Amino acid sequence: MDLPSGTRNYDYATDMAVLRTKTHWAFFIGFLIIVFTAPLYLRDNWLGIFNLIGITIIAVTGLNILVGYCGQLSIGHAGFMAVGAYTTGILTGSLGWPFLVGLLCAGLSAGLIGIIFGLPSVRVKGFYLAITTIAAQLIIIWIINHWTSVTGGFMGMNVPRASIGPLVFKSEASQFYLIMVIVAVCLLVAKNLARGRVGRAFIAVRDNDLAAEVMGINLLYYKLLAFFIGCFLAGIAGALLAHWTGFLNGENFTLTDSILYIGMVIIGGLGTTIGPIIGVVVIRLLQQGIIFISPFIENAIPALSTGFTTGLGPMVFGLVIILFLILEPRGLAHRWTLFKAAYRLWPFSY
Amino acid sequence: MAELLQYTITGLAVGMVYALIALGFALIWKSSSVANLALGQLVLISSWFTYSMLVQAKFPYWLGLPATILFAVFLGWAIERFTLRPLIAQPILAMITVTLGVAYFLEGVVTFVWPVSVASLPRFFPQEPVHIGSAVISQQYLWAAVISLILFGILSLFFKYHKMGVAMRATADDQMAVQACAIPVTSVFSTSWIFACVVAAIGGVLISSIAGIGNGLIETGLKSFSVVILGGLDSFIGCMVAGPIIGLCENLGGGYLTTIIGPGIKDIIPFIIIIIVMIIKPYGLFGETRIERI
Amino acid sequence: MSKKLVVIGVLCLALVVAVMPLAGACAPKAQPVQVLKIGMMNPSTGKAAEKGLPMMNGNNDVIKYINTERGGAGGYPIDATVLDSNYDPTKVVTIVKGFMTSGCLLFTTAASAEMSPAKASANEAGFPGISSFSAPSLYRPPAHIYGQTPDYGDDAITFANYYLQNIWKGTGKPKFALLMLNNPTGYGARDAFKAEADQLGIEVVSMDEHAATTTSEIDTLTRIKADHPDVNVLYISSTPQPAKVIIGNAKELGIYPGVTIGVCHAGMTKALIDLAGADVVEGVYGVYPCVSWGDNVPGMAKMAEYCQKYHPENVGNADYMVSWAQGLIVAKALELAVKNVGYDALAKGDAAAWQAVETQGIQKLQNFDVEGLHGPVNYTPGDNRLDKFNRVFQITNGKITQLTDWVEAPLIKYEEFDWFK
Repeated sequence: MDLPSGTRNYDYATDMAVLRTKTHWAFFIGFLIIVFTAPLYLRDNWLGIFNLIGITIIAVTGLNILVGYCGQLSIGHAGFMAVGAYTTGILTGSLGWPFLVGLLCAGLSAGLIGIIFGLPSVRVKGFYLAITTIAAQLIIIWIINHWTSVTGGFMGMNVPRASIGPLVFKSEASQFYLIMVIVAVCLLVAKNLARGRVGRAFIAVRDNDLAAEVMGINLLYYKLLAFFIGCFLAGIAGALLAHWTGFLNGENFTLTDSILYIGMVIIGGLGTTIGPIIGVVVIRLLQQGIIFISPFIENAIPALSTGFTTGLGPMVFGLVIILFLILEPRGLAHRWTLFKAAYRLWPFSY
Repeated sequence: MAELLQYTITGLAVGMVYALIALGFALIWKSSSVANLALGQLVLISSWFTYSMLVQAKFPYWLGLPATILFAVFLGWAIERFTLRPLIAQPILAMITVTLGVAYFLEGVVTFVWPVSVASLPRFFPQEPVHIGSAVISQQYLWAAVISLILFGILSLFFKYHKMGVAMRATADDQMAVQACAIPVTSVFSTSWIFACVVAAIGGVLISSIAGIGNGLIETGLKSFSVVILGGLDSFIGCMVAGPIIGLCENLGGGYLTTIIGPGIKDIIPFIIIIIVMIIKPYGLFGETRIERI
Repeated sequence: MSKKLVVIGVLCLALVVAVMPLAGACAPKAQPVQVLKIGMMNPSTGKAAEKGLPMMNGNNDVIKYINTERGGAGGYPIDATVLDSNYDPTKVVTIVKGFMTSGCLLFTTAASAEMSPAKASANEAGFPGISSFSAPSLYRPPAHIYGQTPDYGDDAITFANYYLQNIWKGTGKPKFALLMLNNPTGYGARDAFKAEADQLGIEVVSMDEHAATTTSEIDTLTRIKADHPDVNVLYISSTPQPAKVIIGNAKELGIYPGVTIGVCHAGMTKALIDLAGADVVEGVYGVYPCVSWGDNVPGMAKMAEYCQKYHPENVGNADYMVSWAQGLIVAKALELAVKNVGYDALAKGDAAAWQAVETQGIQKLQNFDVEGLHGPVNYTPGDNRLDKFNRVFQITNGKITQLTDWVEAPLIKYEEFDWFK
């Protein structure tokens, strides 16, 4: 991390610190204040959008650990979210267990399913693993759609609102706080994971797994651990999504969503902690922007058939993914680092 | 017993259609080691283009179908030139993801230009089904199977004897050596993508004339992945053999297992086969095992 | 700049941003134009676009007609937000939540598969909704969701009765094979058959599901033919695209002509003839709750005029007619609500306004003839179906021709069966 000149690190703690200088702390606390007072001035539909952004950040952070740090390409993330969502739906809905227990079980079950479908990663990698995860997603969604007695099949399932003790999270604002707290915890976990022993092992596996094995990193353990952690976070995100929408259906978790999550990871920046946040915010706001301007475009160009703006979203995202991969494969996080460095070194920022 | 024959015949026919689409994938893999995850969407957009030629613009067959082939040529060239050439030396993750981006983009384009979302093509072949024993098979499936076999024959011969085909095989093996021999690698890539798109277009036209155009074509594309995995990613004969196998498993499974397990088992059988193949023999029936060294 | 200044500056900025809303709350609010806000959604793209797109056109045109030629509902213009749901449950939930927060008084959907995910949020908040096409699961037990036309269960029963009275010539119970779409469209028929098969006097020998994107149902039909070679009726409770696939496969296998094929109202539209080809679907029976285009009813002229002017490709499309009629019903309900509680109670667009619209508007619809376009609309307590009448049709010579007059579909209390969800 770039530090201003004159800042010296005299011990390990300050060297490893995430927020090193007072300016860092000031910006961070300022940001926290803005985020946690957001419900005061945002209306419900914006709060809803930010809730969705928060949920997606958790899922994409998990995907980032799997793909960005450990290099295991997984295009089935929406399927693992579905596992988490339905677990919590069944536990809190049909069985009436408390919300927090349901949340934890959702993460664990998704993590377990992730380990099962991640077993082929020990034998294959690259494209083969990608196809396996696509197959995994389709099988999971198929089971959800057809195990009607447990999941309600195609008719879907109603999920009660989250509640901790007597406190029911019904309004968008209360869910906002719940989701933001969980997002903060997950980001903290992800950042520390990346900085620690496990994170270094993941990066070694990503860069050259044969060499990593030669150096003594147990490939089976670390690859499956990556799947477990990635899918655990996906399960938690899925559980929060279930409580937020109130209704679950296999159609919520499509292959297109999985591709979108990969896109978010890439646009944000693979292998960084802040990457998922940037990627998710950019894509979700883009989605909302397109939904917002669709009626205007439709009225402005009546010559084209109605409904063409639904195609505008995927077109734009596909284009954005392609452009980012060609022009800036390290994502917006890299641009952000460059910007910070330029700011610090100005006027010598070339 | 009569239904066994029907399932078998339908399964083989459907499998040949899957094999046709899988040929496009194998083609690209064989020449440039790029995984084309946009298969289903290529088929979809070619079918929609055929629809707009034949139904919306009302061109006659001899004009509309070659126009579709031209469109496929252009599409293949454009995809290769603009999305894959800038990424030539990048890691495999980037290549796969860019095809995902292309897939997403094409899906959007289809909804953008043809929001009507479902349509049907005029029928090319007579409706009278052919009777084989007590089973029936529609003529369209027969023609699809025949055309698949012809294309397979042409492609195999091309790869074995034609100069460009040999160049493609060489590029898949070692790009730098090919460049040292003064063969332009970029034109090899272009040609392979153009061929793949043309094959996908032909497959798309055949399937849509049977089942109509709609997003179901993307799912058919996904099932072709299972053909590719079972047969081996870089083997044409693998596609031709694995296609009917998958089709057979699908239909026999659908016919007999539905009463036991429940409806819809037919859709998931190809993907269960993928998982099984991954566990037992990841490189498929006819694929080359990759040996990696540090 | 000194470090301390930067720190203090950033913290002050954050606090200022945080307390801005209090400043905003003090500003005077602008005076809005007096309209009645509603939300409408249709699946104009996606798997059911062959129905959703004409229905969106119908919604748009009827609102235009009511606002320009009828002066709105009760004298106030209707401000309708018409959105595409892409047949996607998550998008539906987002759209409904958006309608609720933006002050809409009620919402409408086209398909039962759209209303299914919406009903959880809507019922929880008390936000009334009307679905053009519905299934028993949407409003049994009755809450805040209303069905504009008879549901898919009613279709199945109407068709079964017609078959028994007019086509069945054997003795005993005819054998029905049900082919259903894997969403409320199909499940409605399944629930009806499960509840009423014995009373009707039919025997349902098989129930098979398929997806909207299916490309071939040959194996399903082969299995039915093998297990039950003497099946008499194939009842297809599905949308036009899958229905076309099934009928085409039935013809290939030689099952049809031979059995009788009946289609629910989701599939019995011009789109089926266009997709399949008139010769393939010749002789197929079906049920639909509206009159045919060109019938001599009061509302036909205006609808035909607007359709021809704005969407000539939808002339003759029955789904367009249903959503046109939906607009007329919504306008009538709003008119009654304005008359009964006054505009000011409705202007707020909050939970009290929703309750007013529902109890004083929708539930006060009595003997509204919908200008003759479909059966009369009558709300009876305990039954959230607004129009309970169906007609039986048949496709002859590439046209949908009418066979019967209005047939009433009886009320079935599905929630009393323990298998019902």
